[in-house]
Amino acid sequence: MTSGSEKSAAAGALAPAASRARTEFARLVSYVVFGLGSVYLSMRAGELPTSRWEPLGAGSFPQLVFAVLAGLCLISAIRAVMDIRKAGQLDGLAAALCGWVKVRRISFALFGLLVAYLAVLPFAGFSLATFVFLLITQLMIAGISKKTFIQSVVAALIFSVGLNLLFAEVFNVFLPRGVLFAG
Amino acid sequence: MLDAFLAGAHQVFAFDTLIYMLIGSVAGIVAAAIPGFTVTMAIILTLPLTFTMDPLQGVSVMLSVYVGGYTGGLISAALLGIPGTPSSVATTFDAFPMARGGEPGRALSLGVWASFFGTVISTIILIVAAPPLALIAVKLGPWEYFSLIVFALTIVASLVGNSLMRGLIAGVIGLGLATIGPDPMMGRPRLTFESDILMPGLPFLIVLIGIFAISQLMGEVEDHGKKDTKGALIPDVIEFKTWAVMREVLMHPVNLVRSSLIGVFIGALPGAGGSIANLLAYDQAKRSSKTPEEFGKGNPDGVIASEAGNSATAGGGLIPMIALGIPGSAVDAILMAALMVHGISVGPRLIMDNADLAYGMFVAMIVASLMMLVVCVLSMRLFLRVTDIPKQFIVPTVMICCVIGAFALNNRVSDLYLLGAIGLVGYGLKSLDYPLAPLVLGVILGPIAETNLRRALMSDGDWTVFFTRPISAVLLAAALLSVIFSVRSVLKMRKKDRPATDEQDGD
Repeated sequence: MTSGSEKSAAAGALAPAASRARTEFARLVSYVVFGLGSVYLSMRAGELPTSRWEPLGAGSFPQLVFAVLAGLCLISAIRAVMDIRKAGQLDGLAAALCGWVKVRRISFALFGLLVAYLAVLPFAGFSLATFVFLLITQLMIAGISKKTFIQSVVAALIFSVGLNLLFAEVFNVFLPRGVLFAG
Repeated sequence: MLDAFLAGAHQVFAFDTLIYMLIGSVAGIVAAAIPGFTVTMAIILTLPLTFTMDPLQGVSVMLSVYVGGYTGGLISAALLGIPGTPSSVATTFDAFPMARGGEPGRALSLGVWASFFGTVISTIILIVAAPPLALIAVKLGPWEYFSLIVFALTIVASLVGNSLMRGLIAGVIGLGLATIGPDPMMGRPRLTFESDILMPGLPFLIVLIGIFAISQLMGEVEDHGKKDTKGALIPDVIEFKTWAVMREVLMHPVNLVRSSLIGVFIGALPGAGGSIANLLAYDQAKRSSKTPEEFGKGNPDGVIASEAGNSATAGGGLIPMIALGIPGSAVDAILMAALMVHGISVGPRLIMDNADLAYGMFVAMIVASLMMLVVCVLSMRLFLRVTDIPKQFIVPTVMICCVIGAFALNNRVSDLYLLGAIGLVGYGLKSLDYPLAPLVLGVILGPIAETNLRRALMSDGDWTVFFTRPISAVLLAAALLSVIFSVRSVLKMRKKDRPATDEQDGD
C-alpha cells in the first residue's frame, strides 16, 4: 500500500496541472456522493425512536457519525474546489475518464465475472461455477493460446474440485452444492 | 501466570498445532514473496481454515502466517527489487544492491536473521508489557475507552495514506458502516432499509475481505502498459552462508535492538504497521551510521534495520490488541475477529479471563519465529521460484479463496453479494487514494466506541466529563494534537512543494 501511495504521491507531484485538476474533480465527486449520502443517513438515523432508559438512543450514534462525515466531506469538497480553481484547467474530462476505464478494463471485466460467478454459485454449485470462472478469468488475463488453455484447464480443475474436496473433507466446511447437484 | 503460560505452551506444542503452524509459516512466506500480495491478504486467506480449529490453535496458525509473511516480502525485495509486501519497501534499498552486487544469499540470510531476532525481541517486550498494561486498562471507564478510540482513529488517519482528510473520511465511513444492523446495546435494527441482507449488520470480516483483498486483486490486473521484466534477475546458484551471516547480524547489536524497538513502538500505534516501521528503522540506522553514504549500495546495516523493524511490529501490534482490545493494524484486527468468531471477547480482560490463550499466543509467537527461521534456512531456494508464478493463476485463485472465506464465516450466500459490493467500493476508494486501513479499523472500533459512549452517558449525562476525567482529557488532547501536527506537516510540505510545482506549471 505504501509503495503504491508513494508512487501516486510522486506521480501527483509531477503531474501537470490539468491532470491534478481532473484527479481533484474525481475526488470532489466522491466527497459530494459521500456527503449527500451521509446527510440522508443522518436524517434516517434521527427518525429512530429515542430510548426511555438512556440519554442516547439507537439513532444518536449513527446520527453523530454521519453528521461528522458530512462535515468532513464539506470541508474536503471546498478544498477540492479551491484546488481545481487554482489549477485552472479542467478540460478533457471525458477523454481522461475513457483513459481511466481503459487502463482498468481487465479489472472491471474481472469484477463483472465475479458478480456473474456469485450469482450463479448457489445454482450451479461451487465446483462447476468455480471451474468456469477460473477458466475464463485465467484466459482473460493470460490471453488465449494452446499452452495457456491447457494450463488454465488444469489449474481450474485443481482449484475448483480440489478446493471443494479440501474444505469438505479436511475442514468440514461445505461449500454450496448447487441446485443441479442437490439431493 | 506460570500455570497459564504452561497451559498455553501445552496447547501450542501439540503435534497437530505444530504441523498447522509449519504449513502456516510456509504459506505466509510464499504469499508474501509474491509481489503485490500483502501479509493482510495472506492472513485473510488463512482465516476460513481456522474456523474449525480451537481458538488458540487457529490464532497460532495465523500468527505463523503473520511472522512468515513479514519475512517472505524480503525475497522479492532482495532479488527483484520489488517489495513483496509494502512492509519491505526499505528492504529493497540495500538488499537489492547487495544481491545485484553478487551476494544474493547474504542479502537473504541477513534479512531472515534480522527478522528472526526482531520478532523475538518484540515478543519479549510483548510478554513484559501486555499484562501490566491490561491491569491498568481494566480500570479505565467508558469515558477513557471512548477517548482512546477517538485517539486511535485520528492517529490512524494521520499516519496512513497521503491525506489526513481522506484518512478521517475513511475512518468515519468505517464507523458509519458499523452502525448498520442491530444497535449494540438494545438490538434495535438501524439503517437496514428492511433488507434481509443488511438486517444482521455488515460482518466485519466481509468488509475486511472486500475492502482489502478484492480491491487489491482488481488493482493487480490493471494495465498501465508496464512490461513484466522479472524472472531473469534470479541467479541459478545462491550461496546463503547462514551461520556466518547470523554472527554478522549479532555483531550489529545496537542497530538490531534499536530497529526492533522502533518496530515494537510503531506496531503498538494503531494503524502504523510494518511499512512505516521498515522505513523509519532504516532511516534511523542511516542517521546513526558513521558511513551513511554507504546506505543504498548494499550496506548490511540497511538490510538488518529494515527487516528487524518490520518484523518487530508483529509483537508490537499485539500489545494494544491483547491489553486494550484495540487492534494495532488490519492484521491484528483480523486476529481479533478470528477470536471473536470463536466467541472470545478481546479486551483488557482477555489476559485475566483467558490467560492460557493470551500466554499461548506469546508462546506461539516465539514458535512461529523459530519455524520461520528453520523454514527459510532449509528451503529458501524453493521459495525463490514462487516469484515466477504468473498472475493469471494467482489473481483468480486468491479471489476464489476470498469467496470461500466470506461464505464459510456464516454459510450465507447473501454475504457473498455484500462481498462483491464492498469490493467494488473498496476498489473505487483505492483508486481515489483513500487509505483503506482507517475504514477497516473504523468498522471494528465502531461498536466499541458506541457502547462506551452510551455507557458513559448512561452513568452521567454530562458531556463535559470526557474533558474533566484526566486520562480521557489527555487522550482527547492527544487526538487533537495528532490532527494539528498532521495538518501542520501537510501545510509545511505544501509550502515546500509550491515553488517546484509553480515551476512545473510554468513549463
